[in-house]
Amino acid sequence: MSNHLEELPTLGVGASLSLSSEPDPVSLVRAKGGPSFVEYSGLVDVDEVIDEVEKIRAAGAPVLFHPSYINFCGSYPNSNAWLEATSKHIESVGSSWFAQDVAYCFWEEGPGYSTQLGYFIPLIFNQRSLELAVERVKEVQAKVAVPVAVEPPPVTFITGSMPLFSFFGSLANQTDCAILLDMGHLVSYEMASGRSVLEAIAELPVERVIEIHIAGGRLKDGDAGPIYVDAHECEIVEQTWQMLEAMLPRLPNVKAVCYECEGVNESSVLATLKRIRKIVREKSNCEALVATLDKEA
Amino acid sequence: MSFQEQERALFDLLFDSSVRENFCKDSTTALHQYELNEEERNDFNTIRPDALELDAKIRADLLLSHFCRSFPVSFSILSSIDGGLDVLKSLVDVLTMRTASIERATLFGRRIGESLNALAFTSADEQTKVSAILEAELGMAWTSATLKREVLDNGQLHNKSTQLDKSWSSKNIKLAPYVCAAMIPESYEKLKQSFCPDAECDLWRSLNKKPLAASIRKKLLEKDDPRLFIARAHVSHLSQCEPTIDQKTAELSEGFASLFQHVNGTVSVDYILEQLKKIGAQDEMLQSIKATFQQLLESDMLEQV
Repeated sequence: MSNHLEELPTLGVGASLSLSSEPDPVSLVRAKGGPSFVEYSGLVDVDEVIDEVEKIRAAGAPVLFHPSYINFCGSYPNSNAWLEATSKHIESVGSSWFAQDVAYCFWEEGPGYSTQLGYFIPLIFNQRSLELAVERVKEVQAKVAVPVAVEPPPVTFITGSMPLFSFFGSLANQTDCAILLDMGHLVSYEMASGRSVLEAIAELPVERVIEIHIAGGRLKDGDAGPIYVDAHECEIVEQTWQMLEAMLPRLPNVKAVCYECEGVNESSVLATLKRIRKIVREKSNCEALVATLDKEA
Repeated sequence: MSFQEQERALFDLLFDSSVRENFCKDSTTALHQYELNEEERNDFNTIRPDALELDAKIRADLLLSHFCRSFPVSFSILSSIDGGLDVLKSLVDVLTMRTASIERATLFGRRIGESLNALAFTSADEQTKVSAILEAELGMAWTSATLKREVLDNGQLHNKSTQLDKSWSSKNIKLAPYVCAAMIPESYEKLKQSFCPDAECDLWRSLNKKPLAASIRKKLLEKDDPRLFIARAHVSHLSQCEPTIDQKTAELSEGFASLFQHVNGTVSVDYILEQLKKIGAQDEMLQSIKATFQQLLESDMLEQV
């Protein structure tokens, strides 16, 4: 693994929160058993969020910026203005790395948040798509001073036959970037593709996985089986917990485990963080990560 | 080029219901309209039709929630009309979604307007009122989009600060840029309170679950307190990426609307007052009209030529 990933700080078990709604990030950070870092999906312009971010940092938690407006795939390049604003944002808030889902956030010439498409449009899993994803990631790396981490997005359906970990393993190796794995997104891939991600784990450069996400979701009945729908305000489904327990021992370099809990009440967040910490302690082989739990205790 | 055809097909599968339906019946035939080789076509064989349908439905729902914020009163009214919600859902299609994101809400609003004739209103008067409300909301969507485009294309806007001198009333006046005006059947704030009691961000979800009752719509639209609604788009957060545009609004009595027809850069306030005096307007009324014009100029709804 590249030195630039090894040298990243270990942030422990944190939470992804909305800066403008419940639960209040500062209150959570100050609570016993609260998150040791806060991730947020804010607006591109840092001056719109900096006051809220400063409050979180003053309460003792570092932050990670995790937006949803970068095209990390496809043939539509990111605009310089948005990339420059991103770079400024990351630098201003001190985000140690920059991660986002690899999916379409905008289409053609209209840079913007993924909400303009409803939500992310899933990437196509084939060789040409991989080549373009390499271009898109390098485009971001050229502007952003911190390591970039690519995240497999949530999917309801799959286009293309290249396996998930083949795509992301190759993308990470070709661009020398890190990987973020969201356990629910992996479950969504398994349901959409009928493939087991664990069976293909050899394709993944596991040492590049620096962050894990876990979040609520809903299972919808489809004609061909269940369909996973990402829904952070909901409870974490059992398959996602199982994925966390199965993946953790296989990932030697995890720096941060993040519970995405926008819209969840504070007491539930704290209870879930407790459960996540217990699993991390039992299953993770990352000494530095487990050591953060001792500090938090 | 073929990968771009794959992207085009993917986009159509999400936003074109007929392509999607055909694909779910027979994927090979449905994809013939795209310039794809066999291997590229086969990439689409991995798509679960049931999941594609669900994705498209969830996506349209989220987009409608977004559009609803630009047209809250119109959405609420349409929910109360037979087929109204279906009309709104049908407008989330490739035509709307292929439009540049900045102009998308404006196009969506125009298309709602074009759809009104197909809906069964209680009376022609009711339809006229609904059209007027939509026109006001569409006007705001349009000026917001125009201003946003201007900021993104040209950067910082240099707003003229309006300081009226003593001779202000002798100068010709016109509507300021990014201002829209429409006659609406009642105060817009009251319309929003009546038709959209829920917070705007949840309005689409709540209308979908429980559409407005037709009887309530009828009762609310029977009230007649027409206003000239004026709105000016302004930048509340300047950005090279995503400027935030808000609206300042004003409402004037119905009588003012006829005066507004002359506010086109060719006449001054003094001229308007002189004409009113000739037809017998009292001094008190003239003073009131002059004060209103002054307020509109000071709030940048109007500008001097």
